[in-house]
Amino acid sequence: MHWTLLLAQVSAGDIAREIARLQRNFEFLGYGFWAAWLVLIIFVLTMVSRERRLKREIASLKAMLEDRQNILEDGQKK
Amino acid sequence: MREKILYLLGLAAFVILARDIYLIARLPPEAAQGYAFKIIFFHVPSWVGAGASVATALVASVLFLITKNFIFDAAAVASTEVGVAFLSAGMVTGSLWARPIWGIWWTWDERLTTTLVLWLLYVGYLMLRHAIEEPTQRATFAAVVSIFAFIGVPIDYFSIRWWRTQHPSPVFFSSTGSFPSDWGAIMGWNILAYLLLAAVFVAVRLEQEQAQRELDSLRRLAHSF
Repeated sequence: MHWTLLLAQVSAGDIAREIARLQRNFEFLGYGFWAAWLVLIIFVLTMVSRERRLKREIASLKAMLEDRQNILEDGQKK
Repeated sequence: MREKILYLLGLAAFVILARDIYLIARLPPEAAQGYAFKIIFFHVPSWVGAGASVATALVASVLFLITKNFIFDAAAVASTEVGVAFLSAGMVTGSLWARPIWGIWWTWDERLTTTLVLWLLYVGYLMLRHAIEEPTQRATFAAVVSIFAFIGVPIDYFSIRWWRTQHPSPVFFSSTGSFPSDWGAIMGWNILAYLLLAAVFVAVRLEQEQAQRELDSLRRLAHSF
């Protein structure tokens, strides 16, 4: 009985508006999920690039220091 | 061994999050807010992750000032960076929820404003570290800023209890809010996953900070040649 009374008060426009509201709502849910993941993915990518840079710089500095050490030792031998 | 544990923790977090996305998708829309309400499943865990990270930064900063051990300074910067990432995720997801529900992306109410101030304080902390070159001075100043910045955390947390805000009233640990138990379980798992992610990120960043220190000492050695 209640449902028939309610349905009698609802127009086709109301239903269309409600569907549009739910669709828009769903769209923003998707954006929210993507944004939450995206921020974390960007942070992980930043960490990965920093890791690579650090390893590269440490390796090149160590190689440079070894070279200098070898040059010093050669000089002392001569 | 340490790396394997970190990979396992990260994998566990990923599996929990993937499972939760499936469960969240199956939940019905909330009666008043519809589907957009489900953003809360990522919004709240972001704040918990951020809160845990900046609380770690606070403890590490206090310990640095007491002991002057640089490992605590490294822990403070590592956890602050992770905290800023989670704070950003919380703010972005909050804004994406506000748009369909309030009709606006942002409003200057107490909760949102104190959150922005908190975010700015921690971004300021990270910028300060780039501005000071001398390591001891940098670590000391940064530790003091970190301790002061943390004052904003309880103000931000209690803002929705102290003032009437546009932001919804507290749902958890409150007599006014209610959350169905099955929804609460998914939220609990998501919070756990975010905390695991935060722990993994902090551990990885801590290793990088130690590598950075090694790099700095190698540079000094290279200059002394």
